Amino acid sequence: MQGTRFPLRAAGLMAAVSLASVATSAPVLAADDSDKVLYVYNWTEYMPDEVIERFEEQTGIDVVYSTFDSNEAMYAKLKLLDSDNSYDLVFPSTYYIDKMAREGLLQKLDVSKLDHFEDLDPNLVDRDFDKGNQYSVPYMWGSAGIGYNPDYVEEGALTSWNDLWNDKYRDKLLLSNDMREVFHVALASLGFSGNTTDPDEIKAAYEKLTQLMPNVRAFNSDAARVPFMQGEVDAGLIWNGEVYQANQEGVPVEYVYPKEGIILWMDTMAIPSNARHVDAAYQFIDYLISPEVSKEISEYVGYTTPSLAAKNMMDPEVRDNPVVFPTQQDLARGEFQTDVGDALSIYQKYWEQLKTGH
Amino acid sequence: MSLVRNPFKTATLTIIWGWLIVLVLAPTLLVVLVSLMPENTGQLLGGELSLSTLWQGFLTNYGQMISPVYLSVFGHSLWIGLITTLICLLLGYPFAWMISRASPRLQPLLLLLVIIPFWTNSLIRIYALRTLIATRGLLNDVLMNLGLIDAPLRLLYTEEAVIVGLVYMLLPFMILPLYAVFEQLSRPTLEAARDLGANGLATFRHIVLPLTMPGIIAGVLLVFLPAMGMFYVSDLLGGSRHPLIGNIIKGQFLQANNWTFGAAISVMLTLVMAFLLLAYYRSVKLFKREVTL
Amino acid sequence: MKASAALRWFSRCYLTLIFTLLYVPILVLIGISFNDSRNPFVWGGFSLRWYDKLLGNGNLMEAALNTLWLGVTAATLATLIGTLTATALYRYRFRGKPLLNGMLFTVMMMPDIVMAIAFLALFIALGIQLGYFSLLVSHATFCLPFVVITVYSRLTGINPQLLEAARDLGASEARAVWHVLVPALMPAIASGWLLSFTLSLDDVVISTFVTGPTFDVLPLRIYSMVRLGLKPEVNALATLLLGLSLCLLLISQLLLKEKK
Repeated sequence: MQGTRFPLRAAGLMAAVSLASVATSAPVLAADDSDKVLYVYNWTEYMPDEVIERFEEQTGIDVVYSTFDSNEAMYAKLKLLDSDNSYDLVFPSTYYIDKMAREGLLQKLDVSKLDHFEDLDPNLVDRDFDKGNQYSVPYMWGSAGIGYNPDYVEEGALTSWNDLWNDKYRDKLLLSNDMREVFHVALASLGFSGNTTDPDEIKAAYEKLTQLMPNVRAFNSDAARVPFMQGEVDAGLIWNGEVYQANQEGVPVEYVYPKEGIILWMDTMAIPSNARHVDAAYQFIDYLISPEVSKEISEYVGYTTPSLAAKNMMDPEVRDNPVVFPTQQDLARGEFQTDVGDALSIYQKYWEQLKTGH
Repeated sequence: MSLVRNPFKTATLTIIWGWLIVLVLAPTLLVVLVSLMPENTGQLLGGELSLSTLWQGFLTNYGQMISPVYLSVFGHSLWIGLITTLICLLLGYPFAWMISRASPRLQPLLLLLVIIPFWTNSLIRIYALRTLIATRGLLNDVLMNLGLIDAPLRLLYTEEAVIVGLVYMLLPFMILPLYAVFEQLSRPTLEAARDLGANGLATFRHIVLPLTMPGIIAGVLLVFLPAMGMFYVSDLLGGSRHPLIGNIIKGQFLQANNWTFGAAISVMLTLVMAFLLLAYYRSVKLFKREVTL
Repeated sequence: MKASAALRWFSRCYLTLIFTLLYVPILVLIGISFNDSRNPFVWGGFSLRWYDKLLGNGNLMEAALNTLWLGVTAATLATLIGTLTATALYRYRFRGKPLLNGMLFTVMMMPDIVMAIAFLALFIALGIQLGYFSLLVSHATFCLPFVVITVYSRLTGINPQLLEAARDLGASEARAVWHVLVPALMPAIASGWLLSFTLSLDDVVISTFVTGPTFDVLPLRIYSMVRLGLKPEVNALATLLLGLSLCLLLISQLLLKEKK
């Protein structure tokens, strides 16, 4: 008879082991009632281990840390979890705060409980997406603007979003694979808000984008500095953190704040309505916005701390780098993304048409 | 066939049915249900269920699909899947054959060598591939240093790059089932054919091909179907310029929060595949029937 | 005779060529993991710093071990049930075969995301806590059709009289299957297991939705590490995983050799 490659006994052994593992890992009802526990749900690679460990040592609270890689995944998970199995602290981006708050997924915050709240940059609190910071506290933020390779593009050639439409960038541009961001560019270039729900404005943006398409080499789904490094593109839409990191690595990329205004993004901290360890959550939030910790996290992830006190503690080179910390005017001109509700499907429809060339 | 009750058979069937009903049927019905709900952004099972709302949902969600955008993406995905499968078959068939003819000691090793790269995370491998074919990447470096080209080749962000990526990811799924049937093909059978006067080509057509057909079908299934859904290959190597149907579905779920439509597209995709495969299977069965040993 | 020698030479060349193509990206990967510079396009010198950084990351190591364990157990479970299914489909007559086939096919066809959400909803509805168990059964399920297809295709080539002979000689069904069918199916079973192991190790989408706070898996971490900026530690991690898998393989080979 043809080949017995492994003795049957080995196969039998493996089978037994697997069945045993199924049996012993059978679901056990969650049984944790101690107050000294905190379930955190954050973006991956967004918090250094030492920060978590120090918090655990200082407070004796055990941090159970899980991660997600997109707002949508986080949102889906949260919707399907009940009060027995909940997270105590989550990190949504700005445009999800409004949506989640409206759907009752988040509980109201009392920022007076946070000692370090006053340290935060006043330009970053009380903004449109969450007036009065009723549901969220800033964690890390950044901007998206125009990046270009100074070896191939002259300085001053790109000052407005509209400049990207220029023919000389044919097949040389990079856009992020983010529907809202790309539409934001077109909307801003037309003078509209990036958060519009007006179908006519969205349509106008779509039509303008179809004219941009010949210039677009690729829609990038990951670290935007890589196509620059690879020599694939000369300019495009990019985040400031990416530019900063690229420069650290010796890759020449310059950053421009277009005159219509940059796209601002921020990741925030929020407490789900079915959280079980609310006090611990407050403690952790306060810890994370304290100057030393916020500075440490910012240096680890390469994005900007919302805490002015932390900023003042930073290396002058970093503090005065306009790529990392924009001027007040640039910040004021920028626009955060907010939820667009049902208009999202209009965006999605045009996005798909754009991608498939219709 | 013994008439006595067969406890092993009963046990086996119970396990199989139990597992599949709980873990396949139930979730599948859930998905179909979701696809029939009227647009309900972000809610998985919200809203009331009545026959009229289900019918409404059906019309909205499935009706939306009849549009040039989606039809062209379907067509494009089918095309890419087809090319990928063909290339995998052409490359993998001789490969599996050669492994099965190697010395018996060597065979498991060779198989493992095929599989081992795939124990590195597939995403990382796509990145490595990307580093290779980038404009400033290794391949262009080498070619330019050898003087074979003057300017770097722009290989990345093209449809060809996507196909290369897909083939690279899916080749072992073609090789392994093919190997399993080749290994069964005994030398005596082949030698008997030769002794009876058949030349190489005839042996291939009348003996090898029909006997390995199940392996071919298996390989084709295991390559074609996943190829349609690997959205990250299209994203990373194709620059997202040519979305596949998997990208669209992902977009519906993760960007547009339109789970009902996303579910509908998935159901439609499954049905289209089922239809194609049924047709293919029928034609192969006819092919097999013509060849009787 | 000349023809067969030429054929063998050609075989060797072809095999080498394909293997080279398969391995070049891997070798590039391994090479970069020792690159001192962060930029993969510039060679900065040989260095082990990424490995240092990696091994210092306790969380990542734990996730890696979790993933390996999950892979082994899910693959074995899938292979068990898959082989039973393939055998049953081939040998027995029973009602509902089209339904069975349909279900297997559906699993293969369903996009990861849809399956992920469906599983999640199922587990919530059944009140099952998300963690190793939920991951295990989800992974085993989506690997199932791959095993069934591989094993089934081999079954069609086995002489049916072999099994009948065993039964006629008085063996119970279970013994007949174990001692006759399974050895004959071994290459397909092994192939199925390897396929499942690979699939499980790589899965990102389903794991995202179906795992819980207590069981962190590697593909998830890698996916985001890579997306956030090509951290060189990732290459070191991939190389290590490769090395580890090779070691496990070598060990199992040695163990099996001894038993023979």
